Amino acid sequence: MKLDRITLENFRQYHGKQRLTFSKDSKRNATVIHGVNGAGKTSLFLAINWCLYGEGPSNTGELMSKEAVSGAREGETISTSVELAFIHDGERYLVSRRLVGVKQLDGSVPVANLDDFTMMRTKRDGQAERVNNPIGRMNSILPSNVRTYFIFDGEKIDDFARPEENEQVRYAIYNVLKLEVLERGRNHLQAVANEYRKELKNISRGELHELVEQEEKALDEKQKAILRKDQLEREIESARRKISDIDGRLREMQSASGLAHQRDILDGELTKRQSESDQLVSNIRDLATNGFIVIAQSAVEKALSVLDGKRERGEIPSSIRQQFIQDLLERMQCICGRAFDVGGEEHRRLMALMDSSLPGSLEDNVLDTAAALRPFSERAQSLKDTLDRSMQRRAELFDIIRGLEEQLDDVSRQLKGSPQEEISRLEKQREDFRADIESYKLEQGSLETRLESLALELAALKKKIDAAKKDQTKEDVLTRKMSLAQRSADAIDQMYQTFADEMRERIEAKTKEVFKLLIWKDSHFQDIKLGPDYKLDVIDRYGLSARPDLSAGERQVLSLSFITAMSRVSEEEAPLVMDTPFGRLSSQHRNNITEHIPELADQLVLFVTDEELRDQARANLEPRIGAEYRLEFNRATSCTEIVEVNS
Amino acid sequence: MIKDRVANLFRDYDEDVRKVIAAVIVLEQEHISMERPRVKDAIKEIIDEAVQK
Repeated sequence: MKLDRITLENFRQYHGKQRLTFSKDSKRNATVIHGVNGAGKTSLFLAINWCLYGEGPSNTGELMSKEAVSGAREGETISTSVELAFIHDGERYLVSRRLVGVKQLDGSVPVANLDDFTMMRTKRDGQAERVNNPIGRMNSILPSNVRTYFIFDGEKIDDFARPEENEQVRYAIYNVLKLEVLERGRNHLQAVANEYRKELKNISRGELHELVEQEEKALDEKQKAILRKDQLEREIESARRKISDIDGRLREMQSASGLAHQRDILDGELTKRQSESDQLVSNIRDLATNGFIVIAQSAVEKALSVLDGKRERGEIPSSIRQQFIQDLLERMQCICGRAFDVGGEEHRRLMALMDSSLPGSLEDNVLDTAAALRPFSERAQSLKDTLDRSMQRRAELFDIIRGLEEQLDDVSRQLKGSPQEEISRLEKQREDFRADIESYKLEQGSLETRLESLALELAALKKKIDAAKKDQTKEDVLTRKMSLAQRSADAIDQMYQTFADEMRERIEAKTKEVFKLLIWKDSHFQDIKLGPDYKLDVIDRYGLSARPDLSAGERQVLSLSFITAMSRVSEEEAPLVMDTPFGRLSSQHRNNITEHIPELADQLVLFVTDEELRDQARANLEPRIGAEYRLEFNRATSCTEIVEVNS
Repeated sequence: MIKDRVANLFRDYDEDVRKVIAAVIVLEQEHISMERPRVKDAIKEIIDEAVQK
């Protein structure tokens, strides 16, 4: 940042519009503004701070020129403003802060609560634009917490050299050298990483992996069940073929052929009856699904009795339709043409009828419901009758089937008990195959049930997996975000201390270098130490800490050395603006500072009294002065005029 | 310049981390005058952008 010019309008004792241009020359980089005590140096210094940062008295009205207020008429608007032009990173900026007030009858000028701060930027290509976030931009150029090390009251800077001010030294280094920015960045990134972690914890249940495993298991089980079912089918088929072979052989054997033939007939009959029974059971199941009609029968009958009762009593449909009453009430006139009034007898009666009547549509619905409910009883009775008949037939079939089975058992018993060993052996084998078929069928049934339940399980799992996949995508993104925030916070954490130590050591070396140039007792003070505790110390020729013994002037020189060292180490282009810097310095220090300080700053702005800058000090500074102004206080108006001094 | 020196500090980290840190430093610098800046949402946007890329 390099200051270009400042324009004041009605700012304190600067009445009207006044302008001052700073020197931007790299050789003659000093701008000297001198004036006697009370001439307006501090006001001009304040104007810079107020314009850039809004720093000033809590009652901003104090900034208004009293001369401007005094000369204004009642109701007249008075404007106070400071405009500062500067160059930063090759771009020109123009910032302006303005206060506006209207003069009241009692002479006061209340100002608007907020001052108006604007920033314009002219880029390298000549395009000018208004900066939308002027405070943020100002913080990037020269932050308000840093400006005190570049724009300062020379008589107050010895704070850094006071024995108890370690914290202030640390604070200055943190702010000027971006350590504060790094620390805040690390903390905020860590907080963001923690938020992502918390969010991740809420959605991440490791569910997808588990669900996929469950699905794999279910699919595996399903595959095995299907294979086993096919195998059982083949076993059953094989057992049936063997039974069929045995039956064939028995039919061919003379002693068994009669029984074998009888069994063929019984088997045929049994198959027929079993088929009939299966069909009947299926029919009964269908009838049972309409069983609600029977269950609801008593409720339907009760509802019908209520509706019939209302109909019998003439409540439904009502004798007078609600719409008819509404029409009369709207016309406020009887059908005979006689008018009636609100609150009158006729009106009251109509209102009572209205309350007791039902809307037409509701009446229709009630009547339709009664019509729909009436066939219910008939349907319920018919259903009950059909069910009764079916159950009776099923019981009959059950007895027939049991009888056929007993006969078949008898045939089998006879064959097993045959005196011919071959017949008995074949029948026993046949019985074993039949038992096998039954047990295979049992297993098949169990497998089918399991396959049905697996199908349901797999469908449910698929839904859950689809939902978990959506969560997984979110989880993946969150994981990446958390990781990046955490790695960034960790990176700052790892580099922070290295950087802080490096900066501290560089400032220590630079402070020592500058201090040696500025202090006249350079042989007495041997070293400067800036320890990890940020204690700024001066070591004397005896190797002892000399800081407690420093004079006020020496403390000021040490502080100035520290500030300029920070400015150099930070490598930021920034002006050094000092208000009354030499007031309490002896001539030796004053001479040293005026000789060396222009080399240590890119731009130097000095607010001095005539006394501060004379003799050798003036001679030292002379070749570096690029602009010089005198503040002339007018006793007649109590106003100050900025007058350029031509050398 | 100090900002170049700070950027150089992270030269050995991967590009995503370097970009996030550079953007966060600019953001923090803009809000340095605030005691309790509300920058978390803006940092999340920086992270979002880096992750989406």
